[in-house]
Amino acid sequence: MIAGFVLLLIAGAASVVSARRNQAQTERVNHTYQVTGAIDHFSILAEQLETARRGYILQQNDFALRTYANSMRELPGAVERIARLTADNPAQRLRVINLRAVSERHRASARTTIELMRNTNTAMRAMADFEVDSSFEKMWRLRAVAADMKAIEVRLLAVRNAAQARSTSTLYIVLGVTALLIVLVMGGVVVILRRYTDDLNASQDRLRDLNTGLEGAVADRTTELSRANDEIQRFAYIVSHDLRSPLVNVMGFTAELEATIGPLTALADRVDAAAPELMARDAREALDDLPESIRFIRTSTNKMDRLINSILRLSREGRRTLAPAPVDLAALTATIRDNLQFRLTELGAEIAIETPMAAIVSDRLALEQILSNLVENATKYLAPGRPGRIVVSARREGRRVVIDVADNGRGVAPADHERIFELFRRSGVQDQPGEGLGLAHVRALSYRLGGVIGCNSELGEGATFRLSLPDILKTEPREGIAA
Amino acid sequence: MSEHSVNIIMVEDDEGHARLIEKNIRRAGIANGIHHFVDGTSALDYLFNAPDGPKHNGPALILLDLNLPDMSGIDILTKIKSDERLKRTPVVVLTTTDDKQEIQRCYDLGANVYITKPVNYENFAKAIQQLGLFLSVIQVPEVGDA
Repeated sequence: MIAGFVLLLIAGAASVVSARRNQAQTERVNHTYQVTGAIDHFSILAEQLETARRGYILQQNDFALRTYANSMRELPGAVERIARLTADNPAQRLRVINLRAVSERHRASARTTIELMRNTNTAMRAMADFEVDSSFEKMWRLRAVAADMKAIEVRLLAVRNAAQARSTSTLYIVLGVTALLIVLVMGGVVVILRRYTDDLNASQDRLRDLNTGLEGAVADRTTELSRANDEIQRFAYIVSHDLRSPLVNVMGFTAELEATIGPLTALADRVDAAAPELMARDAREALDDLPESIRFIRTSTNKMDRLINSILRLSREGRRTLAPAPVDLAALTATIRDNLQFRLTELGAEIAIETPMAAIVSDRLALEQILSNLVENATKYLAPGRPGRIVVSARREGRRVVIDVADNGRGVAPADHERIFELFRRSGVQDQPGEGLGLAHVRALSYRLGGVIGCNSELGEGATFRLSLPDILKTEPREGIAA
Repeated sequence: MSEHSVNIIMVEDDEGHARLIEKNIRRAGIANGIHHFVDGTSALDYLFNAPDGPKHNGPALILLDLNLPDMSGIDILTKIKSDERLKRTPVVVLTTTDDKQEIQRCYDLGANVYITKPVNYENFAKAIQQLGLFLSVIQVPEVGDA
């Protein structure tokens, strides 16, 4: 293609060059015509002078005199014109000198004749002079020189005409080749453009197909995921619900049992007082151990009650209808920070919010719960001896928004990165209150929002929790879960 | 409901719950007879077919659990409330569920009272005793009264 354009450029240059050369040739041909014209003009003037002179000898009238004067006046100019025009031609230069000399002699002799004739006394002498004068010879030589010069110009004309014809045909050939090149290059351009356009269209089609396939795959996966999620929610609900019933019994009858301690102890005391021999030692001990046993049962059932309630809350949260709306993440994070301000001041920790934060359309409540859980966790597990610093940022990556909650706290061992998201699982030194529910809750909520959450951390190096969510949450009609 | 003729029919699959409910109702001073059924089928059979059951004999008050092994308490509630003779019989739904939709559904079907069983026993005992006090003052219509 580039070669085509280069060739076209060369052809254009060649066209210009040959057109100018052709023009130069034409000018030279014209020049030759001018020279021959000038020679002819001179010849005519010389012939007129001679005619006037002879006419005047025969009859002294004004017409002959006027012709004579005119020719005499113009002849030097005519000669100089030839000299000027042929100055470039060495072959003509000598001839011009010759011509000038002959012409001057001719003029001189003509002047002599006319002046003698004007005087009646000398008229006869003039006529006699004319007889002996080499006037014929002078004219003959004049004609010969002019003819010679003209012949040279005619030969030159032939040569120049031929050259002009050649350069004209060269110009035509060059123009023809240029035109052909233009057509070829244009054709090439059209072909290449067509090919590119076709390629572009084809890849666009392919891209569309791929995209459609991808969307289908994503839709399938989403359906599977939400079905799995629904199933887990249902399972959690049933389990927690059905665990509650026996717990009511355990707690209820424990209370009933506890209520018997008072009367039984009173009875034992009475027996002790009235008839100590009836009081068995092991009965007394059993009675004394009863409160402790009941306390253990109570503690355990209370804990179980809390756990079941947590699962129930989790499952209820999972069944809540999501309400997607534009959420100002920076404002939301600021609210969470303000709510924690007292604790932060107490701990000497700070929360930095990197603005601007990416725009997102999601469920506000779920987002708030996720973020406050993550931020609270970060404030909970600070590294001893290092002022806590928590950085919250949100950026857009394609169709997703990636939210980072990064802290400089005590970190999470890599082996626990997945475990911490499991229900009732915790990591590291157990010096903080908690049931191991927060991150499980966070992960469940993230899944519901169509997102994923992961942890990146080294022990002692702080932790970054990365939440990736769709930029616009789409809710699908969900089947209700019956109680 | 001071008359002994008003039967309390308790449909509760959990024996322990049934016992705890009975204990606490008695503590509230209710001395009416309590018939206990652990599944829906036998409860329905008693309600509709037994010669001494509510349909054929005398007024009754029903304590109904929703989670039953053979059917949902909702089914029993629907049957009671669509029966000409039993529809005025007061039904107290006493269950562990506190799902809003479920509560609404029961009232829509004609349940008279809905009580969620508290897990914490003190609250449970208190709630049942208060129910007992409530039962002692309400009027139960005669079955078949026009």
